[in-house]
Amino acid sequence: MRSLFVLLIITVAVTSCGPSTAPPDTGSQKVPVKSAKAAAPVKVAFVTNNPSDFWKIAQAGTEKAAKEVGCDVLFRLPSTGTAQEQQTIVQDMITVGVSGIAISPKDPENQTDMLNDAAAKANLITQDSDAPQTNRLCYVGTDNYQAGVAAGELLKKTLPNGGKIMIFVGSLDAQNAQDRKKGIEDTLKGTNIEIIDTRTDETDRLKAKSNAQDALVAHPDLACLVGLWSYNGPALLNGVRDSGKLGQVKIVCFDEEEETLQGVKDGHISGTVVQQPFEFGYQSVKLLAALAKGDKSVIPPNKQLIIPVRTITKENVDEFWTQLKKLTGKA
Amino acid sequence: MGLIVLACAYEAYAHETIRFLTTSNIRNILPLIGFFGILSLGQALVIITGGIDLSVGSVVALVGITTAILLRGAGWHPVVAISLTLCMAATIGAWHGLLVTKARMQPFVVTLCGLFFYRGLVRLMTKDATRGFGNQFPTLKWLGSGFIPDIDASFVSVPFVIMLIIAVLECAYLHFMAPGRHIFAVGASEESARFSGIPVDRVKITAYTLCGLLSGLGGLLVAFNINSLGPSDFGSFYELYAIAGAVLGGCSLRGGSGTVPGVVVGASLIVILKNLVNILQIPSQLEYVVIGGAILLGVFVDEMFTRRAASRVRT
Repeated sequence: MRSLFVLLIITVAVTSCGPSTAPPDTGSQKVPVKSAKAAAPVKVAFVTNNPSDFWKIAQAGTEKAAKEVGCDVLFRLPSTGTAQEQQTIVQDMITVGVSGIAISPKDPENQTDMLNDAAAKANLITQDSDAPQTNRLCYVGTDNYQAGVAAGELLKKTLPNGGKIMIFVGSLDAQNAQDRKKGIEDTLKGTNIEIIDTRTDETDRLKAKSNAQDALVAHPDLACLVGLWSYNGPALLNGVRDSGKLGQVKIVCFDEEEETLQGVKDGHISGTVVQQPFEFGYQSVKLLAALAKGDKSVIPPNKQLIIPVRTITKENVDEFWTQLKKLTGKA
Repeated sequence: MGLIVLACAYEAYAHETIRFLTTSNIRNILPLIGFFGILSLGQALVIITGGIDLSVGSVVALVGITTAILLRGAGWHPVVAISLTLCMAATIGAWHGLLVTKARMQPFVVTLCGLFFYRGLVRLMTKDATRGFGNQFPTLKWLGSGFIPDIDASFVSVPFVIMLIIAVLECAYLHFMAPGRHIFAVGASEESARFSGIPVDRVKITAYTLCGLLSGLGGLLVAFNINSLGPSDFGSFYELYAIAGAVLGGCSLRGGSGTVPGVVVGASLIVILKNLVNILQIPSQLEYVVIGGAILLGVFVDEMFTRRAASRVRT
């Protein structure tokens, strides 16, 4: 009982002095805005589905847009990346009084109620991963099916004589994983490239690597490994390297982790299909800022703002990498 | 005993798919056994005192990522950086021990808070950006994934050997030296240990310190192996694999029992199970079912044998 009381006092103390003195926590970064207007700037929230480098690039995009239109962006990275954590964050954002939220829903099917609740209280758009059955106003992001198609085309070029391939991903719950996989499958239909299995690793990188190594043991005739999520690229590369099969077994992956790009540059990875997360952040914030002013004309008629993917191979990796370093401030 | 039965069953399974015994598969498994073996050996010390350490996964992340920052960001010499981070891991363990003994807090609570705290600290330090060792530090990578000699036919995995060395040292300490035997005494009955003049607090603090140190060492080796470390996911759940390995290896969560060879076998079995799920092409979705079921069965059979042996002694 006494400990509860102490806890209560601490909570009250922390919350009462919170806004003025508490430093921003890990998950959020307030973008400083030099706004000429005296009125409080528009606040919008950007909610990701996990913390990874991918979102650092999107964050750079949100910051650029925030500077241009003069609004505050609350950038939130759920640490465990569960649907439950996203719900808490969205509710907190609404409590804080944001005018709009751009979210990458973790499990769109089962988050319908939560997303509709949020859509009733703020301008809700989805980014990165869509939830078309909800009342979201618009989707900003990749068409993951098209990304899968791009990877499929890359596979055809990599394996002109066909062969067995295997797909690796964190989990197949996420719509983007399913769409990418479908895109690859549809593109490879009628070719002599055969997808023999899909293995998941629950986003554990050590597991992702050992999955690749195990696959090479179980199927010595594998021609190519395909990694659907960003960390799968480096994991496959390290797995193939430790199995001593660099060059013999091809790798096709998605996104732009540093090791992936190095692998493309060294010729160990045939290519990687990249999204443009910078544009996700930039376009989402611009859209939300316009919506906050009541301007609905910014929403495309089909309610989808598709950001095209790019295929990065040895030919264009240097140019892409330089640009990326500039965006993320790692130059 | 139960373990032997299980091991035989797996062997039989494994023989069906000869692939399990191929050189490359064994070379894949050995480093993993090294990592999880080290974590389980640390965890076992604490479990034998009747405690538990839930912070292992977060300590793994903290040590691995701090080392990456010191080496690549700050440009420290590897020896200095590694000594410092290992000291940090041991200090964290000692701190847990102090809270458990001097502040009389429950191990579960102390280390659960550690699990959250160190994970948060890592994310704060890195601002959630993935860290790694880049293309430099070949010696460190050798520690995490090397073989002696460096040829394709070699089975002598460096992390595996490190684990074996630790197991031998821990075995000598725990089973043949007085301070180690004290850990069992404290776990079996703290009260009687205290009355027999055993410095209970010191014994417990030592156990937690060693567990912290081994978590840190295991974390470093995994970090060197995978190279790309995500602050929010690196090492998560590893405490549960460490506990599972120790328990499957015959440690009782009530304290006072467990053996070093058992823990090594237990940790190995968990790694082998995960590998078999892939090699036998069991769907990924079934993996946790297989692991959960196998641990339950293993511990159940073990308990039956222990009980039967105990009743035979009594009559």
